[in-house]
Amino acid sequence: MLNVLFIEDDAIETMKLNRTVSKLQLKHKITEAKNGEEGLEFLKSDEVLPDIILLDLNMPKMSGIEFLEILKADPVLKYLPTIVLTTSENRADLLECYRIGIAGYVIKPLKYEDYEKKLESVFTYWQNNELVKA
Amino acid sequence: MDSKEVILLKKALERQKKARQQAERILEEKSKELYDASLHLKQTNKVLENLLDQKTAQIDNVFVNIIDPYLIMDLKGNIIKMNSAAEEFLGFSKEENIKLTELIHPDYKEYSKASFKSLYTTGLIKKFRPGIITKNNELKFIEVNGSLIKDKKGNISGAQGVFRDITAELEMKNLLNTQRQRLDIIVEHSPLGIWLTSKDTLIKVNNTMQKMLGYTEEELRSINPMEITSLESLNASKEYREKLIKGEIDEFSVVKKYLRKDGSSFSAKTTVSAVRNIKGELRYEVALIEDITHEIELEEEKKQLVKDLESSNKGLQEYAHIVSHDLKSPLRSISALTTWMYEDYKDKLDDNGVYNLKMMQDKVESMDKLIDGILKYSTIKSDNLDNSIVDVNEVVQEIKDIIFIPDHVTVKTANKLPTIYADRTKIHQLIQNFLSNAVVHIEREKGLVEVGCEDRGTHWEFSVKDNGVGIPKEYHEKIFKIFQSIGNKERSTGIGLSIVKKIIDLYEGKVWLQSEIGKGTTFFFTLKKQNENTTSN
Repeated sequence: MLNVLFIEDDAIETMKLNRTVSKLQLKHKITEAKNGEEGLEFLKSDEVLPDIILLDLNMPKMSGIEFLEILKADPVLKYLPTIVLTTSENRADLLECYRIGIAGYVIKPLKYEDYEKKLESVFTYWQNNELVKA
Repeated sequence: MDSKEVILLKKALERQKKARQQAERILEEKSKELYDASLHLKQTNKVLENLLDQKTAQIDNVFVNIIDPYLIMDLKGNIIKMNSAAEEFLGFSKEENIKLTELIHPDYKEYSKASFKSLYTTGLIKKFRPGIITKNNELKFIEVNGSLIKDKKGNISGAQGVFRDITAELEMKNLLNTQRQRLDIIVEHSPLGIWLTSKDTLIKVNNTMQKMLGYTEEELRSINPMEITSLESLNASKEYREKLIKGEIDEFSVVKKYLRKDGSSFSAKTTVSAVRNIKGELRYEVALIEDITHEIELEEEKKQLVKDLESSNKGLQEYAHIVSHDLKSPLRSISALTTWMYEDYKDKLDDNGVYNLKMMQDKVESMDKLIDGILKYSTIKSDNLDNSIVDVNEVVQEIKDIIFIPDHVTVKTANKLPTIYADRTKIHQLIQNFLSNAVVHIEREKGLVEVGCEDRGTHWEFSVKDNGVGIPKEYHEKIFKIFQSIGNKERSTGIGLSIVKKIIDLYEGKVWLQSEIGKGTTFFFTLKKQNENTTSN
């Protein structure tokens, strides 16, 4: 079971993820954060650190890239594998994310069925990985 | 008489005798001296006569041997004597009784009169330069130096003069003058400032330069260089000038800043060339000064424009990405909600409801494609071409692997496709557009799409041939315009061929088609061969 921090401002996107997890009967624990600031707040709190972070890029207040920069500058948090989950096919964004340091870059497909398939494989992949664990 | 008397008388006689003898001896001596003197005089006279003869002969010789023309005339101007050089020059012999005054060209008559007058009063004539007509009717210019001749009593008997042919000299001088005038015209009318110095002394500065600086030539002669240029500029050319003086270089060019009299300044390209003597020593420095303030301003303006353009381009691209993201996100939501509506309520929906949901999905899908197309179209720019070596056969295979090809359609290459130097992604986009268009518009039983290529020297000419429905002639131009879709298939957005056109434009190529309704269509496009050595396209 994975402990996942899901940073996403769009309510329907959140519904999509939750629906996917429940439909596939995955036992992962999903923590939602509405933007980068909320995400950081959670990470700095006493809560157990997540195993992976799923990060949207285009968000109000603190964008995904800004969040990523702060995360990677932190001596402890920088170890958290962060997978970008975005609609942006902008190559500049992609290069910038890999420059700062990400564990994956997943583009949200148009169709929900495709989304389910992609997310399932992402979860499967990270489940099979040895993780740092807090 | 007594004997005493006799003795006395005898003695007196004796004394007289002696005295006479003495007188005779003295006379004899004096005569001898006189004779000697007369002899000596005779000899001296003889020597003098000889000397005189010699001198006369010499003068005659001199007269004959004077190389320059020489003549003697009487008071009326009749030539009474002249040497052979004079005869040869004038073309007359002295026997012809020529009057010198008649040989003088009419234009010089007045001048001659005045000069002769001066000869009679001062006794001399110097640098008298008349034009004369020789026997051959040639106009010649001479320079005469001469003097009056007086007889023993001191009366003026005539004049003598030596003259020199200065015709060629004058012609040369005139020629030089003309050339100098011409040169001056060029120098003064040059759009470049011209500055000639010798050992730091100003020799000449043309009008243009004076106007540029606002100083007159006189003012510039006494001005300190620091007053017309900046120290920085002086230092900039210092090193070059040292090399120029040493003979290491013959020319250099620097951009200098000049200060005008009114305090304003301008930048000018200054080219300094060395003029050397035979020994290679620097005689003159010629500086050509071209005011390039305007050019520099233009250059700056250009740089600024390019910069603005770059940033606005970047902004636009950024904007295109943001807009596309913001449009695509809600599409994803609608798509998800539509799916869930079907999944959760399929039991409650009738056929019509299910159909409508499917239609919604289709519309969302085509809108998503349109947004993708607009984004691609707006990001095709020459400055982000990433050229590399591309095997087009591989590209076609890749496309075959990813696009939807109906079962009845075969895609093949007509001949082996080349390996070209281009942006792989763009070539992929290009061919994919043609192929995906071609494969879906075939209604016959066995569809065939063929990709071919011909080498056209400067360009590659590709062709994509299908045996599909064909395109009516009236659409042949229209289809390359943005948003023009002629297909009746739901899937075409109309942006595909305009993307194609834009990529082909980037590679300085052309695109055209041949089509026959019911038989098929062949699209042709050319791409200019890229030089691998240049980094940009």
